[in-house]
Amino acid sequence: MAGRVIVVTSGKGGVGKTTTVANIGTGLALRHKKVVMIDADIGLRNLDVVMGLENRIIYDLVDVAEKTCRSINKALIKDKRLSNLYLLPAAQTRNKDAISPEQMVAIVDELKEEFDYVLVDCPAGIERGFDNAVAAATEAIVVTTPEVSAVRDADRIIGLLQEKEIYEPVLILNRLRPDMVRKGDMMDVDDINDILAIKLLGIVPDDEEIIISTNKGEPAVLNNQSKAGEAFRNIVRRMEGEEVPFMSVNGEPGIFGRFLKLLNGK
Amino acid sequence: MFVPATRPVHEEQLVFKGLKQGLTLFVPERDTFGHWLEVLERQLNQAKGFFQGGAILVELGERQLTPDELAGLKKVLAQYRIRIKGFNPVLRKKNNPRSEKRPPASTGVLLVKGTVRNGQRLENEGDIVVKGDLNPGGELVATGDIIVLGALRGIAHAGAGGNVKAEIIAFTLAPVQLRIAHIFSRAPEERKGRQGPEIAYIKGEKIVVERL
Repeated sequence: MAGRVIVVTSGKGGVGKTTTVANIGTGLALRHKKVVMIDADIGLRNLDVVMGLENRIIYDLVDVAEKTCRSINKALIKDKRLSNLYLLPAAQTRNKDAISPEQMVAIVDELKEEFDYVLVDCPAGIERGFDNAVAAATEAIVVTTPEVSAVRDADRIIGLLQEKEIYEPVLILNRLRPDMVRKGDMMDVDDINDILAIKLLGIVPDDEEIIISTNKGEPAVLNNQSKAGEAFRNIVRRMEGEEVPFMSVNGEPGIFGRFLKLLNGK
Repeated sequence: MFVPATRPVHEEQLVFKGLKQGLTLFVPERDTFGHWLEVLERQLNQAKGFFQGGAILVELGERQLTPDELAGLKKVLAQYRIRIKGFNPVLRKKNNPRSEKRPPASTGVLLVKGTVRNGQRLENEGDIVVKGDLNPGGELVATGDIIVLGALRGIAHAGAGGNVKAEIIAFTLAPVQLRIAHIFSRAPEERKGRQGPEIAYIKGEKIVVERL
């Protein structure tokens, strides 16, 4: 059976797409799934750094597309911690036009035969890079932060995904600050759901650990002390079909339950 | 027309006219384009100083230009720092009666199932009904009424084309902008606490909003 091909996208930059891919990929691999992460951000690659695999890159996505390397497996980098987790890095010295959506489809078609999950890290923006990243995906995770601008861009992306026939993207709300939500200074889950109205996959609290883990090249999901890591572990469980209650982020018991009910009522 | 009236009538001339869309150069359909290009060059040379750069429209009628002809025209105009901003304002109007005065018509209803999201724009000759929300950054343009069975947060333009009787109705009216016929309005900055269906329409020269 072919694996699931999921693009992680957002429209806006800097909301945590790459971090999300690194954590979900690692989290799925921890559950013994065979996972490959593709960095589609050609020219501005980061996923290798976040995974701590930068120094192992020999071939990249463009080499595979142009068939510079003999096989796709030559370009796949095995994770240093988990043997069932792989990265297909982006080229750094090229740009988004270096590959076409058709080439991307061909690459992913090959990979999905071998892997349970193909995760595509989409670049910011809605141009060629987005077209490439989305071309082969059948599912999408939209990442947003609780900021008006990020939510606007997420809304635009959801519309564009529908044009690409991905009708039911799911949402990760990243970097939520419970203290600010409590004081009414930050958009809460309800506000965001009002606008975007798509299924919530997870809420990731703002967590300094993420910065530390990103700098160390060790996804937070590996760290049992990290709040964000726990959120990502829950996200992975939901992706695998488990029912996991949402973390109560804003202290008022029941508000997320209410939100869940709202979702299930649909 | 800018050409001095003292010019001999037998000398051929091209006509410049100030249309609503902008200053327009009329090139007749008869004779070769090369001929008219010469006429234009002579004319512009004689009227030196009249054009201090700027952009014009060019009306060619049914005439099709070859790439060379177009390049020639651009070159002549460029000498007088004139740019072409468009072609055939008259012909277009003829082919597209939409821009002409037209009775406010409701020809049909466009039913939109689901949310109109940021960056999406829907137009209809007639009414538009949305079974969902109109999100910020989304746009609806209807010659008739607009009804949103959800929250209207984007831009809605009812009565586009001039129907001042058009109305906008939404279960929650929280738009970035409302436009009815030729009148535009922004929502007041603070409109919290007002929920429930509302209707917007033109009263006098203003858009007013009332509870439904």
